[in-house]
Amino acid sequence: MARIILQGIPVSTGIAVGKAFFLNRGRASHVPKQTVPMDGLNQEVRRLEQAFRQALKELEHIQTRVPPELMEHARIIDSHIMMLQDPKLLESSTGYVRKMQLNAEWALDKSVEDIESVFQSIEDAYIRERIQDVRLVAGRVQQHLLGAPGPGINAIHSRVILLAHDLSPADTVELEVSKIMAFATVTGGKTSHSGILARALQIPAIVGVSDLEDSIQDGRLVILDGLQGRIIVEPDEEELSSFTDLKHQFENYQARITRTSHLPAETIDGYQVKVFANIELLEEVSSVLSNGGEGVGLYRTEYSYLNRVTLPDEEQLLEEYQDLASIMSPSKVVLRTLDVGADKFISHFGPLDEANPALGLRAVRFCLHHKELFRVQLRAILRASVYENISLMFPMVSGLDELRRVKAFFAGIQAELKSQGLKYNPAMPVGIMIELPSAMLTADILAAEVDFFSIGTNDLIQYSLGIDRTNPHVSYLYQPLHPALVRMIKYAVDSGHQAGIKVSLCGEMAADPYCIPVLMGMQVDCLSMNPQAIPVVKHILRQTSMEDCKSLLKQILASRTVDQNNKLVKDSIFRRHPHELMFYSSLLDEGY
Amino acid sequence: MEASEVATRRVCVANELGLHARPAARLAREAQKFSSRITLFCQNQEVDAKSILDILTLALGPGCNVEIRAQGEDAHGALEHLEQLFLNRFEEVR
Repeated sequence: MARIILQGIPVSTGIAVGKAFFLNRGRASHVPKQTVPMDGLNQEVRRLEQAFRQALKELEHIQTRVPPELMEHARIIDSHIMMLQDPKLLESSTGYVRKMQLNAEWALDKSVEDIESVFQSIEDAYIRERIQDVRLVAGRVQQHLLGAPGPGINAIHSRVILLAHDLSPADTVELEVSKIMAFATVTGGKTSHSGILARALQIPAIVGVSDLEDSIQDGRLVILDGLQGRIIVEPDEEELSSFTDLKHQFENYQARITRTSHLPAETIDGYQVKVFANIELLEEVSSVLSNGGEGVGLYRTEYSYLNRVTLPDEEQLLEEYQDLASIMSPSKVVLRTLDVGADKFISHFGPLDEANPALGLRAVRFCLHHKELFRVQLRAILRASVYENISLMFPMVSGLDELRRVKAFFAGIQAELKSQGLKYNPAMPVGIMIELPSAMLTADILAAEVDFFSIGTNDLIQYSLGIDRTNPHVSYLYQPLHPALVRMIKYAVDSGHQAGIKVSLCGEMAADPYCIPVLMGMQVDCLSMNPQAIPVVKHILRQTSMEDCKSLLKQILASRTVDQNNKLVKDSIFRRHPHELMFYSSLLDEGY
Repeated sequence: MEASEVATRRVCVANELGLHARPAARLAREAQKFSSRITLFCQNQEVDAKSILDILTLALGPGCNVEIRAQGEDAHGALEHLEQLFLNRFEEVR
């Protein structure tokens, strides 16, 4: 067999070199179509029912053996069991046997096809992809109908690169992780279970590789490149050595950035920027600290409201905020007041009947509407503020009038506590999220009346460009470096600095390797991101110079198109980190 | 209640990823515990709440409003029970 390259979607980074092993070869092969004589129909239906029962028994058995670290999979297996028990699938299959007088295998295949055609019209990509689960379940039944399954997982004896049509959660439970260096599947997309599994196991993986089965024989040497999403079959000497090098480089790179993540983020010309974490659970604090986070730049307070029927009381919230502050002390913690509405709602109030929730009663508007709810949270935050590392910020403030309403309400709560003799820190810094274009363009006005800004780029991008990023028709317009955004962000940063207040940035842009130099050029004071992103970001910052960032920003401000901006930042990163470029993933690549 | 009467309740999908495979499985499993005929109604489509495949084809995204309809002896108990599941986000973290 000659050298070939197969392309797929990378879902877990890393590189592996080893022998291929195809799991359950032929599982999805073409099913035979045979006519069944009238007097054989009952027998054919019984054969179908028996295959369903066998598959069900098998899954139930596997479910009892799920190791604790894969509990998530047990729940997916549970949904597969429900599908097997779903009368729809069996009834429609037996219906085809009787109606068309055709064999069980074909009838099952046809039923799955019917379900597929219904699923194809589903807009939500995540739910649409669940057709994979239906296929996996049907595949298991099919195996029992066809008899003689291919070699199963138990046939793996040495370490291999596992190839499969799809890895069902049931398969992954049976996998012995120590025997798998990496895996690739024919089906699957970015959100498939197998990708989640690979990242959890920290092994490279690629999904959506067509031709996988026909192109690779068992035992062939392959390179699985989880960075570019490629499989190279029968690589030549040169490729082997260059990929072995790349593998070492990647592993060294990962080790290096993790080792140095506790160092301050200082550019080579001595400019320091703070690197904070965005979290929503107390438990995440340990990952903030282990990844080198210097504080919590955004504590989302929604969690304790969302997973319950009743509202939390003041004491519960107080305890939560105090715990957070004391674990993180003396590092800073920024509590953001409740940001519900839009896609999150509180059971107590029920869903709002809004035609356009993203533009509806949410965040601080919601709180001003439900004053008692707001009052309880503000009291808890104020009382927790005896820990002096706590700051407070309000989300979605649209302008000075709204800010003043919020601040007046806040002052009322302070007075209330004072009259009750309850302690709080009167000097607690109070800031706002800048995430609406209206707040951006009035940043100079707002800056005079708050202690800090935190720019929330995720919402800002959507509101400024008028697109919903999860809508596949317009997601290509999700352009973080749109000239309008660059100008607005710069204006907000400059306005903050002129008023003598700090400006941080807490959207996904803050962790984007390509956007960071631009933000640095604006002299943002703090970048706040998910804890896992901190090591890479600090690493990039420490190799950057403020001088370079400033000159890059100058070019970007002079440019007129998104394409040119993207090219400018990519070229600049390429000049500085040519060897690491392949390890990065970026928002700028989304939708292209 | 009269067996012929249809009781209804409006709920909202609070799970961030919508009613995907796991919550749908949970919903079907819980619905199967009742003898009443139970359906979900959303955007002019009505499906069997006891069938996971049916539930999935409704493609209930986050924030979707759904009407649960139950008809039978234990209809009220069923509505009460299923509403709680929606409120608790089917015990998913998000």
